[in-house]
Amino acid sequence: MQQVYDEKVREKILFEELENGLKVYVMPKKGYTKQFAIFATRFGSNDSKFIAPGDDYVTEVPDGVAHFLEHKMFEEEEGSIFEKFSQLGASANAYTNFTTTAYLFSSTENFYENLKLLVHFVQNPYFTDENVEKEKGIIAQEIRMYQDDPNWRVYFNALEALYHVYPVKKDIAGTIESISRIDKDILYKCYYTFYHPENMVLFAVGDIDVDKTLQVIEENVRQVKKQGEIKRIYPDEPVEVHKKEVVQNMQVSIPLFNLAFKDTDVGFGGRNLLKKSLEVQIGLEMAVGRSSELYEKLYQEGLVDSTFGFDYTGEIDYGYTIIGGQSKDPLKVRDIIIKAFKEKSFLDRETFERIKRKYIGKFLRTFNSVESIAYSFINLYMKDIDLMDYLPVLHQINFKDVAERVESHLNEETSAMSIIYPVK
Amino acid sequence: MELIHKELGDGINLYLDVTDKFKTVTVNLYVQNKLGDEATWYALIPSVLKRGTSTLKTYKDMVKYLEMLYGTTMAVSVYKKGERHFQQYRLELPQEEYVEENVFEKGIKFLYELVFEPFTQDGAFLKEYVLQEKEVQKNLIESRINDKTKYAVDRCYEEMCKGEPFAIFELGKKEDLDLIDEKNLFEYYKKCIDTLPVDIYVVGNVNPEYAEEVFRKYFNLRRKEVLEIPFTDVRKEVKEVKYVTEELDVNQGKLTLGFRTNVSPGSEEYYSLLVYSTILGGGPFSKLFMNVREKASLAYYAYSRLERFKGLMVISSGIEVENYSKALDIILKEVGEMEKGNISDYEFESAKKSLYTSLNAIKDNATSKADYYLSQKIAGTNLGIEEFIKKIEKVSKEDVVEVSKKVKLDTVYFMRNKKEA
Repeated sequence: MQQVYDEKVREKILFEELENGLKVYVMPKKGYTKQFAIFATRFGSNDSKFIAPGDDYVTEVPDGVAHFLEHKMFEEEEGSIFEKFSQLGASANAYTNFTTTAYLFSSTENFYENLKLLVHFVQNPYFTDENVEKEKGIIAQEIRMYQDDPNWRVYFNALEALYHVYPVKKDIAGTIESISRIDKDILYKCYYTFYHPENMVLFAVGDIDVDKTLQVIEENVRQVKKQGEIKRIYPDEPVEVHKKEVVQNMQVSIPLFNLAFKDTDVGFGGRNLLKKSLEVQIGLEMAVGRSSELYEKLYQEGLVDSTFGFDYTGEIDYGYTIIGGQSKDPLKVRDIIIKAFKEKSFLDRETFERIKRKYIGKFLRTFNSVESIAYSFINLYMKDIDLMDYLPVLHQINFKDVAERVESHLNEETSAMSIIYPVK
Repeated sequence: MELIHKELGDGINLYLDVTDKFKTVTVNLYVQNKLGDEATWYALIPSVLKRGTSTLKTYKDMVKYLEMLYGTTMAVSVYKKGERHFQQYRLELPQEEYVEENVFEKGIKFLYELVFEPFTQDGAFLKEYVLQEKEVQKNLIESRINDKTKYAVDRCYEEMCKGEPFAIFELGKKEDLDLIDEKNLFEYYKKCIDTLPVDIYVVGNVNPEYAEEVFRKYFNLRRKEVLEIPFTDVRKEVKEVKYVTEELDVNQGKLTLGFRTNVSPGSEEYYSLLVYSTILGGGPFSKLFMNVREKASLAYYAYSRLERFKGLMVISSGIEVENYSKALDIILKEVGEMEKGNISDYEFESAKKSLYTSLNAIKDNATSKADYYLSQKIAGTNLGIEEFIKKIEKVSKEDVVEVSKKVKLDTVYFMRNKKEA
């Protein structure tokens, strides 16, 4: 296996690509009680239109398929896979986001057996008309739960405002209508397209034996030929935002807002994307972070409270910033923030150096928990970013990079507002 | 797991858990009080303290200072365990070998000033800080309703424990905020720091002698009278099941059932009760998950959970409003199955294994460790994780059936959409 050792964080990651194309990464963590493995595919809610390898036609599937498939993978002919993990004392779970579906377990014993089970079940779909129908009721309640979650709604309304056609604006689980159109054939089609080892990655972390881990994976993974490229079809998204404002009324006590900014400098992954993401985050931290003049002002005027926060999402094909929280006057908050981005008085070198220092500590903290390592690793992997590039890239960023990034990404033109007001 | 204990001052305890597992040193300082009429005042204190210390007079100055310490994180919060009310002050400092020296002492001095040397003016808190934080607290109390899932559980407990201290919300009451000003709050604060027990848990790679020396330098406080916080009374007989329905503007109904167990947190029966609740609704192997979700497709989530320190159990599930009776019937049937002893070996063993895994997992998280130690202390059990696991191992199916007889339904709370007029 190839090995990358980082002296600064004193951690190493080992890597191997198997013949069938599966990428395997292992990170030994001496002294940890928990082991954690995650088996992920590049298949998310955004991937609803594609040409499968070998096909000469486009397949279009209902929204919410990736998430539906994730639920159904836990079922096997002989019963629920949860049962087997439970018997081994492990807890298994999965998640689906815009770009990824990931299956994972954490254990404190029987690691290799659990790993075998993980590799096995993700490679063994079992869909029937009956079990697909049954799942619709469960997922409908999951969708309902999110419909009542104002933080979730304000977020997706913000994406609806930013994007005309790009699928990131759609709910990950789809709608009750769209999932009603899902059947077992659709699930199998997506499964065989996206769950090929070549399209997948496996990351394991804990106080584990590297060779044995690799051996268990090699012995249990499908021995298949590489399938070639999956052609994913995403619509052409205009540069401009779709709507300046989306408003909804819900049972909340005080308005919630998400002020969103559309990133149009997209289409690349790897170190460049990591660099861009850090530039935006540092810029945001300087502008509206907890040590900023602006946050102090907004807080003292009673316009925001401790729920105020911000985040940048930078994927290969799209990106956006969200600044949000609860406020009695969201529009005033927006105006103040937009004005500050215009004036840029928060951009000073001393703050810049301090925030960079903060990010060193933040990165170190990632290595405190096997879960956070695994989640960060997979999240970055899907953007072709190497986790261990974080510190070198951070050091590379200079003040001017951040100033230019703020100028181009964070302004009135790229912004849109989503607000949830209390019901009258 | 060796926990080193030192008394720093009167009623100020330091606990050191030395481990080189983490890249940070996590310090959790807990102040505890009886949950009662002062709750609103008590809950406001950490927010005001977070606004400024004697040397770092604004929140902005504090954050800047911590950013220079490589993004040391500071978090304050307020919560309850049974009828004990906690203030939590947490710092997570980078381990010195990864950054530079003296970070630890700077952090501990900061923590001391945060809790014991606030920014004051004319013998009181700064007026504007108190005014602003009162407003924030008012908003936080009102915005409880935003998180429907948590709100449903909180409301069920409130209805169930009406008239008991446990019904008090951890942030207190909106009306009380009107009575508070910078002077009387400061008086109250002084009373708190003069009389309430303080426990500090440090988890990380520190030299115990050095750490003790640093802490003694700041926390060596002499106090005349340190209060003893009484154990929570868990005994209460259920005379009649209460049914409460609340109509809100929602899509999904939340069905929440509150139970009394009459099991005290320090008793041997507690371990049986924990296994009981885990079999019933503590994971994908559990009766509620299998029957409410997997078999009947009625819900995405259905679980049971204990409130150890008040001897309560809650069952919660999100359902279609029209499925209320169906879901309630299934849940009560499964509770009945427990009492009848219809527990499969698979359910029993899976529940125990899942508890071992969660207990062992605590060892990998510094704040979970601190919280575990604190819970052990207030339960009066002081068990290490291995000893806790041994207690679970000893629980038999008969013990589970035996304890099930003590679990009594008290309140059924249902959140639903508004009926058409």
